[in-house]
Amino acid sequence: MSDASKPASEFGLSGMIPAGVSLHRLSALLTLCLLIAGFALSSPAFFSINNGLTILLQTSVIGLLGIGMTLVIVTGGIDLSVGSVLALSGVVSAMAVKAGVPVVPAMGAGVAAGAACGAFNGLVITKLRIPPFVATLGMMLIARGLALQLTGAIPISGLGEAFGLLGNGALFRVVEMRPNGFPNVIFPGIPYPAILLLIVAVAVAYLLRRRQIGRHIFATGSNEEAARLSGVRVDRTKLYAYTMSGALAGLAGNVLMSRLITAQPSEGVMAELDAIAAAVIGGASLSGGVGTISGTMIGAFIIGILRNGLNMAGVSAFIQQIVIGFVVIGAVWIDQIRNRP
Amino acid sequence: MSAAPLVEMIGIEKHFGGIRAVDGVSIDLHRGEVVGLLGHNGAGKSCLMRILSGAMAPSGGEIRIMGEPVSFTEPNDAREAGIETIYQTLALADHLDAPANLFLGRELKTRFGNLDDRAMLKAAREVLARLNPNFKNLGDPVSSLSGGQRQVIAIARAIYFDTKVLIMDEPTAALGPSETAMVAGLIKELRAEGIGIFLVSHDMHDVFELCDRVVVMNKGRLVGSHAIDEVTKDDVLSLIVKGELPADWSARNLTQAAQHA
Ligand SMILES: Nc1ncnc2c1ncn2[C@@H]1O[C@H](COP(=O)(O)OP(=O)(O)OP(=O)(O)O)[C@@H](O)[C@H]1O
Ligand SMILES: [Mg+2]
Repeated sequence: MSDASKPASEFGLSGMIPAGVSLHRLSALLTLCLLIAGFALSSPAFFSINNGLTILLQTSVIGLLGIGMTLVIVTGGIDLSVGSVLALSGVVSAMAVKAGVPVVPAMGAGVAAGAACGAFNGLVITKLRIPPFVATLGMMLIARGLALQLTGAIPISGLGEAFGLLGNGALFRVVEMRPNGFPNVIFPGIPYPAILLLIVAVAVAYLLRRRQIGRHIFATGSNEEAARLSGVRVDRTKLYAYTMSGALAGLAGNVLMSRLITAQPSEGVMAELDAIAAAVIGGASLSGGVGTISGTMIGAFIIGILRNGLNMAGVSAFIQQIVIGFVVIGAVWIDQIRNRP
Repeated sequence: MSAAPLVEMIGIEKHFGGIRAVDGVSIDLHRGEVVGLLGHNGAGKSCLMRILSGAMAPSGGEIRIMGEPVSFTEPNDAREAGIETIYQTLALADHLDAPANLFLGRELKTRFGNLDDRAMLKAAREVLARLNPNFKNLGDPVSSLSGGQRQVIAIARAIYFDTKVLIMDEPTAALGPSETAMVAGLIKELRAEGIGIFLVSHDMHDVFELCDRVVVMNKGRLVGSHAIDEVTKDDVLSLIVKGELPADWSARNLTQAAQHA
């Protein structure tokens, strides 16, 4: 069931509370708990604070991409370009920093570059009537090519401490100086990427539930022709969704590159698949009209924890791909069963 | 006629490749008038109505609303001119509930620009109760409603707003007898309020009960426009099927009507 039009009480992260949560999200939440329990039993290091932080950081990138992807999927589309746009945005930010622009406007430029890529996707899809799959596949190559061309395929490093703050900093971090001069972290704090993810998730959930544009995004994905006849500006709605997806990919790119303090033009290959998987696991329907931000957040954590836990358990990257492939198929299969009349 | 008609469609054309779906059709509609639009399947009735509601761009011809030439590029333009449409396909977003569909594209908002779901629910409850007192499941996505309930939502959406012209493309196709009677009553009410109505229907009984005038299309062309007391059901049937009146009908009447249209 889509609860696109449920009252205010049920938007944002409050949707993670079982009451009123759809069956799909409940099963996803259960899967998440099982995963955590399983990995905790198999590896004691899994439950350490440090590993928790790693998971949060990994998930924040998947989560940001997944939120944008959810908007696009709810309109009935798909955005295959987010992994490449992520790289291009990081590269643009880094080049701006290298050119002497202060960090904050430089990162703003990176996010704007992402939004521009998204807007280009939206225009190609609505004006040229090219199917989203093809249009964003084109952008996937264009953005990756641009990122590699601009950098000559060489990572940009030496970006300075300020550039690393977004990805490595934390709120309420308590650090004490040891007598030997090395810092001792008493409380690691809440990483900025996690805070950023929370803010974006709440903001977009609010947008989807409480604002007209959100209603129109659902209507467009539900029945595009009906939405058009009802006076919804379908093209503008799609343009909005793709631009948001591009901007959020840009934001994710900046988080990632900031964490590495290096702009890697080859970063984020296949990240779009993680984002799609997060949205689908969270209950978004690839045929449009259905999806929630809280669901996508659960999906992002499932993917993030799965990757991390398998890593910790020493499972090879190849096997990880196989596992995640099966998880995605399983999630869509559950969706199919759920929708059977 | 003193006042300009509510709607004048003059020489409307719509071509799909070689097919002439609408072929030089001219019709008009006055205040407080119900005009029945009839024709065989594929005669071009829906196309003509979709052109008036801004959902389809005409290949040629002119539309005037109260004497003013207009050009609708999207359904919003027609809505702003006071033209509301009940589409044959209903045009509902399946995953949204009844209030969301009713206000789709014209959502009520709170002071802060948020969706005012409470106000929309309240208004929806009232207008739906007017059409079907048994309408309860307002919070369900409309995909889970019955065909008749869906049709009631589409009708409610068209009459809720400030309407001057109402286009009803087979509005009772999925309705039960009591709901059909309700819609008939509604049409009479709206006519009394001075609203002009185009009623597309295959139901001869409804047409003769409700309409002031019948207009018949055949293969995209207008083949007759008659005051309802000028013709019998058989005459209309003949127009629909053969595209002409029975042979014993005086030809003078027909040419007069064609000139009028
Ligand atoms: N989008 C379209 N593309 C191509 N041809 C179309 C399109 N829409 C309608 N037509 C054609 O135009 C003609 C008129 O169709 P229309 O829907 O107006 O018929 P109608 O009179 O409403 O019929 P019905 O009583 O079955 O509703 C048909 O021959 C149809 O095939
Ligand atoms: Mg029709």
